[in-house]
Amino acid sequence: MSRKVLTVFVLTIAALVLGITSAAAQDPIKLTVLTHWGEERLLAAQQAMFDEYMAANPGVTIELQTVPFNDLLTKIVTGRTAGTNPDIYHLYNLWLPDFIGANGMLAAPPQEIVDEIVANSPQAVIDGITVNDQIWGYPTEVNTYLLLYNKRLLKEAGYDNPPTTWDELKEIAAAITKKDETGAVTQVGYGVLPGWDSGIVHPWASYLLSNGGEYLNADHTATAFNSEQGLETLQLYVDLLENGGMDMSVAGWDFPNGKVGMTVMANWWRATLQASEAIDYDTEVGVAPVPVGPSGESSATLSYNWLWSVDTGSPNQEAAWKLIQWMNTPRAEGEGSPMGNFLVNELGAIPSLIPDQEAFAEDLGDFFLSAYVESTKTARPEPVVAGGQEVKTKLQTEIEAVLNGLQDPALALETAALEGDAVLQEMANQ
Amino acid sequence: MTQTRRSTSAGVLHAPASPPHLRRGSLMRQRTIWAYVFVAAPLVGLLVFFLGPIVFSGWVSLHDWNMITPVADMAWAGLDNYIYLLTQDTVFPKALLNTFLFAIGGVGSNVVLGLGFALLLNGKIRGKTLWRVIYFLPVMTAPLALGVIFGFMFNRNYGVVNNLLVALSIPRQPFLGHPSQALLVVIIIAVYQYVGYYIVIYLAGLQGIPQDYYDAASVDGANKWQSFRHITLPLLRPVTLFVVVTNTIGALQVFDLVFATTNGGPANSTITVVLHMYNTAFKFSRMGRASAMAFILFAIILTITILQLRFLRDRTNE
Repeated sequence: MSRKVLTVFVLTIAALVLGITSAAAQDPIKLTVLTHWGEERLLAAQQAMFDEYMAANPGVTIELQTVPFNDLLTKIVTGRTAGTNPDIYHLYNLWLPDFIGANGMLAAPPQEIVDEIVANSPQAVIDGITVNDQIWGYPTEVNTYLLLYNKRLLKEAGYDNPPTTWDELKEIAAAITKKDETGAVTQVGYGVLPGWDSGIVHPWASYLLSNGGEYLNADHTATAFNSEQGLETLQLYVDLLENGGMDMSVAGWDFPNGKVGMTVMANWWRATLQASEAIDYDTEVGVAPVPVGPSGESSATLSYNWLWSVDTGSPNQEAAWKLIQWMNTPRAEGEGSPMGNFLVNELGAIPSLIPDQEAFAEDLGDFFLSAYVESTKTARPEPVVAGGQEVKTKLQTEIEAVLNGLQDPALALETAALEGDAVLQEMANQ
Repeated sequence: MTQTRRSTSAGVLHAPASPPHLRRGSLMRQRTIWAYVFVAAPLVGLLVFFLGPIVFSGWVSLHDWNMITPVADMAWAGLDNYIYLLTQDTVFPKALLNTFLFAIGGVGSNVVLGLGFALLLNGKIRGKTLWRVIYFLPVMTAPLALGVIFGFMFNRNYGVVNNLLVALSIPRQPFLGHPSQALLVVIIIAVYQYVGYYIVIYLAGLQGIPQDYYDAASVDGANKWQSFRHITLPLLRPVTLFVVVTNTIGALQVFDLVFATTNGGPANSTITVVLHMYNTAFKFSRMGRASAMAFILFAIILTITILQLRFLRDRTNE
């Protein structure tokens, strides 16, 4: 080896060693965060929040990854299997049972954070993020379901106020539906949200609760929707189809297009309604409690949560929890947290934390969000149980079968309950 | 090989320059080694990226696994996943039936329409190249885009197809919105997308038939139908075999088009085996059961393909 080559070799090694030593001295931490908030506007808002944190914590870099909601679960599972999992997840609480336990994916938060969450969250939120007596992350938004109605369409049909009972709902819906001379449905009184399990089951479960029924039994070991109240709830849809108040060719998804008089939907739809050019958000959109059924005493609704969690495989768990804690801590006394600001002012969602709800009370005072905030006080959290996703999908299939005239309501509920119970039983035995 | 090694060794020991026949032996050995190296590269790739996952998937199909717990901790299930699918799963038989209907409808239509249009395009018509391009364009279109466009076209209230029906005094139809019609519409979309490909295949087959055969038949007094029946069809049998086998394999694995147009709905009326497999694996975190489904589908495809090859080959050899 010539002297020249030797010199170059020694210098290269020295540079590498120096680089490694220098890098080790800085102790940089890279955190990867996975969310489903992928719209350009939301991406920019999230990035601004992370930029602020990185500026205050020079050793930390944050990489934001987003996928659409429909791909989020697949991305989490495949990423974990392939070893490309992020450090921090934004999760739907129904998935929690699959991600915890022995050799689980999620790390339990430090006690300090658990104490903060308990001190600052309503009980329904705490219940929604607790599985096996353990809180699994920092709650973000809470979503409930309420009746959305198009004030203009109701008025044109001769009604000033939204329905409060199922009989009124059927009457108003039938009055709104219109067809043209060719038989095309130009507007429909009530629209369901087919093709999506939560879109079908969450509103149906809200009607069920408003009819005095239950989705699962008290200890979540079996379904409870196959009841007299459940049958009445499914019959409501059949009645709406039979009296013309509902037509499967126009779904609730067309509410923002001004073609649907009423639907039951969650608060995260606000941005879509505000962006709609077919309806005027301020003057045409109305929000009301879910109408009460014949066996119910008062309106009720289902709620579900999202939460920030940390992967057990993350080499930077402490830094990850520190970032999550910072996102959810008020910047100053009486001010909201960065996350609360993002949820309320960018996403149009309801923050789970009480200090954020108080700090952003004015922003949440909008006619739309205020109704949903009010509903969180009495909302019933969606049962978080292993197999819950599968039970929901089975119920969705049976409800859609009824909606399409393929199945008798009683048989549909019986089938869904039978298959759902088998899933819950199997999961409980594992 | 042993002989060559001895000779080479002797050459090294006793001669400063190897005789030509020994140098040839050394060259042969080097070539053989390189041949093994070149063969080994794709073989390793095949083992690691193809056979490896298949074997692993087979192993997973005998376990309960949610993809979150480490592989070493998978719970042994034996044949439970297979037994469940074949005896208890209410969606799997439906998915299997839909898949078969999709395959039968799709393959049958592609064979008939592919051959029919190929015969037209093989004749003396104006703008032949333009027609070929038009028919082939959908092949290059993404199924997702086609799904969205056809969703609009088949909409009950404002879709162009229903407007056409109304103009013909036929009542509006729900099409993709109703379980009784949705699968048929999905088949129509699939045929629209892929028939262009099979037209090209059949065209190539038609152009490979010598004109002399038709001339001879014509001299013998055969009409067009007789020429088609006794010359075109028998000589196109290898092409038809290719079309039927490849189209069947693809149709039995249909996923993207159904995912984009109906996502299996309404009420599972268009769910297929692969879509059910996807939901089972990634929505319900039951990778063992999904893997078992993959193996059952593999067995079905293998059986059907063997039957098709045997049936059509036998007839080809008649």
